[in-house]
Amino acid sequence: MTEATDLAERAGDRDPRVGLRAVAALRRLLEQLEAVQVRSARRQGWSWQEIANELGVSRQAVHKKYGRH
Amino acid sequence: MFERFTEDARAVVKGAVVQAEEAGARSVAAEHLLLALLDREGSRASFALTALGLGDRRDAVRAALERARRRGGLTQAETDALAGLGIDVSGIVARVEEAHGVGALSGERRGGGRWTGHRPFEREAKDVLTGALRAATGRRDRRIGDEHILLALTARPGVPAEVLADHGVTHESVTRVLHGGGEARAS
Repeated sequence: MTEATDLAERAGDRDPRVGLRAVAALRRLLEQLEAVQVRSARRQGWSWQEIANELGVSRQAVHKKYGRH
Repeated sequence: MFERFTEDARAVVKGAVVQAEEAGARSVAAEHLLLALLDREGSRASFALTALGLGDRRDAVRAALERARRRGGLTQAETDALAGLGIDVSGIVARVEEAHGVGALSGERRGGGRWTGHRPFEREAKDVLTGALRAATGRRDRRIGDEHILLALTARPGVPAEVLADHGVTHESVTRVLHGGGEARAS
């Protein structure tokens, strides 16, 4: 994943503010992308366990985060 | 705290809930407070916005908020920071919308049945209201008006403040038109 390598370089580079801001922005984007994919999987009938397996987290974690939606 | 809110400020808080509802959002965000503020007429905040030239450009602000919503609530500054990493946010938005529909990254449900449950205020929206209280207290105003909500929105980093600043509405400029420091400055 080249983004991650770039990110590591950038984050350990020169002005910390630039790197930190980029990391925070990436985290926000990641959260939104995860929500889109989880909703899509649920609409297609995926179980929480199946979604959790793909995300590499526990079923409880996914359900707690998205269960109400 | 709510009992110290003026009629206009209460209308903004209630209006924000309606804005969230109409957008299909599950919670009330700071941008919903701003959208509700833009709807006000004859209030102190409305006066400030008009004085800053926003009178007939409110739709431009609404459009800018909509664009930010479509890119998952990222500010332009955040989008630029990601571009610095080689991540093209607009490219990602385009692909996600292609697969999941327009506005997919906004997290809102359009036409997919309304969320009828309780709509809590997000932490950032609560922070804005607390900031409004602080703005009023700082000026020793007894009541919290919608102008204090506007001041709080401009003071807090995020999409609403960024969009407002792009339209010439900053904490400084709002303070100036509201309280003037005596008289209008010539330059």
